[in-house]
Order: sequence, then structure tokens, then C-alpha cells
Amino acid sequence: MARFRNRKTKVFVKPIVKKNQQQQSNVDHITGNKIPKSFVFSRGKLPGPIKQLQMDLRKLMLPYTALNLKEKKRNNLKDFLNVAGPMGVTHFLILSKTETSPFLRVAKTPQGPTLTFKIHEYSLAVDIAQSQLRPRCPQDLFKNPPLIVLSGFAAGDEHLKLTTTMFKNIFPDIDINTVKLSSCQRIVLLNYNKDTKLIDFRHYSIRLQPVGVSRRIRKFVQNHQVPDLRNLQDVSDFITKAGYGSESEAEEEAATVTLTSDLSRVNRASTKSAVKLQEIGPRMTLQLTKIEGGLCSGEVMFSEYGNGGNKEKPDSERGNEKEDGDNDDEMRDSDEDNEGEDNEDAIEESDEDDEED
Amino acid sequence: MTMEEGNVAAGKRKRNIGKKKGNKTKNKKLKMLEGKGKKLRVSKKMRNLFEKRARDYNSDDDEEEEERKEKENTEAAATRRGGGGDNSSEGSDDSGGGGGGGGGEEEEGGEIQPGVMKFTEGVRAFRVAFKNIIKRNIANDSLGPVLSGHKQLIAKKLAEEEAERKVKGEAKKEKHLVAEKGHVKPANYLDSHEKFLIGIATKGVVKLFNAVNKAQKAQKGLDPSRSKDAKMIRKRSKEAFFSELGKTSFPVQNSSSKDNTSCDPSNDEGPAWAPLRDNYMLTNPKLKDWDKMADSAIVDDVGRMSEDSGSDDD
Repeated sequence: MARFRNRKTKVFVKPIVKKNQQQQSNVDHITGNKIPKSFVFSRGKLPGPIKQLQMDLRKLMLPYTALNLKEKKRNNLKDFLNVAGPMGVTHFLILSKTETSPFLRVAKTPQGPTLTFKIHEYSLAVDIAQSQLRPRCPQDLFKNPPLIVLSGFAAGDEHLKLTTTMFKNIFPDIDINTVKLSSCQRIVLLNYNKDTKLIDFRHYSIRLQPVGVSRRIRKFVQNHQVPDLRNLQDVSDFITKAGYGSESEAEEEAATVTLTSDLSRVNRASTKSAVKLQEIGPRMTLQLTKIEGGLCSGEVMFSEYGNGGNKEKPDSERGNEKEDGDNDDEMRDSDEDNEGEDNEDAIEESDEDDEED
Repeated sequence: MTMEEGNVAAGKRKRNIGKKKGNKTKNKKLKMLEGKGKKLRVSKKMRNLFEKRARDYNSDDDEEEEERKEKENTEAAATRRGGGGDNSSEGSDDSGGGGGGGGGEEEEGGEIQPGVMKFTEGVRAFRVAFKNIIKRNIANDSLGPVLSGHKQLIAKKLAEEEAERKVKGEAKKEKHLVAEKGHVKPANYLDSHEKFLIGIATKGVVKLFNAVNKAQKAQKGLDPSRSKDAKMIRKRSKEAFFSELGKTSFPVQNSSSKDNTSCDPSNDEGPAWAPLRDNYMLTNPKLKDWDKMADSAIVDDVGRMSEDSGSDDD
């Protein structure tokens, strides 16, 4: 008899925690807010490229996610929920594939709303690295959580507002008084296009480059390679030679920041540096198709195609049947929690930005 | 010399009489014989000798002499066979063939005479047939050297196999297409849309960095340990930050900033480090009555733990 009972409640999900990693704190010690953690997993059997997309998304959500999450076929949503509780996981990112296209569901545990996105197009991180001349991936790029920038959502309806809050809460907050600029190395951009109703999802790495220094000197200082002075009469020729200005320098003018501290040998305090972004990580084009009140169940609060009900559910999953009543209130509460003093983790811009500048 | 040749021929004949299908060996020997340029004609005397030997070999007399003679004959035959084997280039086949041939001849026994005559004719006939076959197969088919007359059958089979492979290949291709749906390889260059997006992201980052710089610069001068200064720090940084962000028009941002400033004065009192504040973690309504909740929470945890441990045991 005991065997039967145990078989039902057995949990197979075992996220592996690296030994040298300290136990991750649930609460940010600076802001006092709960650090959001996430699980990225899939429902149903996924074909090759989508498995890679899942891995890319896991890397994106680092460090507050289970990188080596192992799932078995017989795991339900309930199993993941059971494990999520004690581990402090707040969000699920669920990938699935139907005949038409892959789907991404973003859900808040334990009873939170679920946003369903249809992935129109996607590119893997390896594809993007192949398409670039100099792909860049420094080692500690994934040690810190990314910043998030949402754009174009401003004039939106309720469902768009829900989307913004959901994405804002997925990533932990930043306290501007204490944050170190060197720890902000990645940025996730979500851009909403009103005409096509598509959301562009991009993931960039941030690089600071000192401005006002000629290219040769900068390379020399960075690479420590002895330059070739064969054709020059004097060292001053090397330094003062007017190199051609690259076309990106004009754009850099607008993108300069003045640093308060020394980030590296090259980027010193109180000098101007330019912010350069290079794309890493997956690229997706999403369309919001459905919002449900519960976790993959519950009342359909918004549906793109006008047909309510959970019709397009990929294969084997049993969601929890929870009430959906207090979900709106829950969202508001979490808003207040996260927008405490001196916290900004998301910067919203509208499209009328350019005129102002 | 003739005796030897005759012996050689006899040995070979003995070898091959039972085995008219021994193509290779026969072919080679035939070629060898032709190479020598002689057609072996057996004289009557030789024929009688051979018959006698065969008879002796097949007789059932127990006399020693005959046994000895048989032994000698067999030995001689064996050496001849061995010699014949050496003459032709294939060793093992011939000894086997020779044994088979010899056995065949012995079995025939009383019919030796007609068998011997048929043998030479058979050899000639086989040679002709074999040459025909070789000639025929000079035409190189796509099917390869096929001796069977059923060429159409083989062609059919091969066609079937190819058809199967094609079908499977198509099914695989379809599967592959469905799997790759939506997967787009990005272009090498940055097209305008991508540049536009990078521009937006850069602007965001620049704004954030500038705000942080301003806030942290304002903090530099003042010592955070002094409570008076701490208040000043917070005030100034907040103003700076929100003014910085409020420069460009963000309708949502402004509303949210207003919310912040309104609720801020209430939270303004108290130390900067979150846990030291009195309302640490209490803004979350679930955790307000944490001391009352403690027992139930512990019970829940224990319950879950026992469940898990029970499942682990099994």
C-alpha cells in the first residue's frame, strides 16, 4: 500500500546546485525584496532547435535559475510547483511546440497569471555568434542578472500593462545607490510594435569603451601588443596620426556616460566612455496570444483570437485548478513591493523619445 | 616427358572427373594446357593403363600385393595430384578438387571407360560454354555482373529499394521542416530594424548609467553613517534620479514615480539597510503575521518533508 501512495507523490525534478556556489538567498539584502527566481522548462517533446532555445533562455535568466534542471516525461506542472515552493522559485518559463509554431508561456507561481506568447521567429545564440564578425562572451557575463528595458508598451491596454509588470518582476531589482556599474553587463530589450502587435525580444551584452582616444592607442593599451613603428620617424607620429574616424563614432557621441569609478584600466573615473552593445543570446519575435488567470488554467482574461477557453493546449499537462479571483489584487500588491524607494529596474521609454532629445 | 605429361593429365583428369563445375581450376588448367600449345591425345596404350589402374583401385581384393599396388597407386596418384597442384597456381582448391575428382572416378567403377571418354568431351564442352559466358558479360550493366537470366527481377528489386528510400527521405525532410519552423538564421549585417533596437537599448542603458552616476556622486561627499547626512543623501539622490528619468516624457513612468514619491515620506524614516527597517518584509501582506504563522508554516514544511522522504525511500 505504501508503494502506491509514494508513486503518486514522487517528485522527479532535481535541479543541480553547483557545489562551490553559495546557497542563493531568497531575499535581496539591500532592498529587502524577494529575489525572483525562475525555472525554464518544456512541456512535451521538443525538436532540436527548440531545445537549444530552452538552454539559451536558461542562460539568459542566470544567475537566478536552475541551469541544469532535469525533467522527465512524467513530470507534471504539479511536480514543478511542489519543488518551486521550497526553493523560492517565483516564475516559470515554459516552452512548447505545436504544429504551427513554438509557444512560450510566462507564469507566476503559485497561482499567478499566465501569459502565452506565440513565437513567430527565433534565432539561437549560436546563430547570432556565427553571424557576427567578432562574437564576444567574457567569462563572467552571466554572473549578474540582466537589466531590462521595455519600450513601446506605454500606450497599452490592460494586457500590455500586465505584460510589463510581469517582465519587470522576473528580473531582480537594482538599487541605484549601491549598484556597481561593472555588474551591469547584460540587457534584455522588449520592444512592442503597435502596428504588428509583435514584441521583439533581444539580449545584448554591454561594453564600455573610452571615448576620445584614437583607435591605435586604445588597441595598444588593451592588447599590450607592441605596435609596428617601421615606417614612422618618431613615436609622436604614432600617437598623433590622424586615423580615419569610424562611422560609429558619430553615434557614440550620444551614448557616452561619465563614470564615477574605475571599471578597468581603460575606463577610468570621470572620463567619458561610450556604451557599446553587442548582441548575444537568443532573438525572438513574440506575439501575445492569451492571458489566463491561473497557472496555465483559470479564466481567460485576454485572448488574441477572441475564442475563450483553453483550446490550444499542447499534449500532456494538468494545470492546477485554482481560483482566479484575487489575481488582479495580487499583481497590484507586488507592484507596490517592487517599486519601493530608490529602486528602478526597468526604464520605460516611449516612441516620442527622439523629439525630446 | 610424354609419360610425365600423361601422368599429369591423368592426375588432373582423376581430379576433375567428378567435378565438372570446378570452373576456376578447370579453366586455369585448360588455359595452361593451351598455353603449352598441345592438345593432349591419349594413346590407346595409355588409356588401357589408366583403366587398369582404375580397376585396381576399385577392386575389393584383400591380397597384399594388390593392397600394396593400391597403395602405390594411391601414393602415385597423390604425388601426381600434388604435382599437378603445384603446376597450377592454386594449391588448396586443387587438392580438394583432386580428391573429389579421384573419388568420383572411383565411384563410377565399372563405367570408367565411358566416363573417361565423356570426360574429355565434357571438358571441351565446358570450355566452350564458359567462354560464352565470359564473352557475354563484357557488357557492363548498371546492375553489375549478373549471371542469372532474371535480370528484370533484380532490376525490380533495386527499384523497389530506391523507392522505399525516397519515401523515407521525404518523410524525414518533412519532419525536419516542421521541427525547424520559425527558426531563422540572422543576417550577417545589422539591418535597420536591428540598429533601431540597439539604439533604444543603448539609450536606456545610458540613462540608467547617468542616473546612477548622479546618485552615487551626490552620495560621495556625504558620510552615510551620520544620520543627518543620510537623510540628505536619500533626498538628494531620489530627486536627482527622478529628475533624470523624468526629463523625457514617460507617461507610465511619471505616474509610477508619483506613486513612489507619495509613499516615500512614510518609508523615509529609518536606516538605509533594509533589514534594519521596522517594516522589513512586512509590506508583503502574507508575511505580516509571521510569528503567528510560524507554527503552521513549520507544520506544513514538516509535512512536505515527510512526504518527500517517504518517496525517497521507495
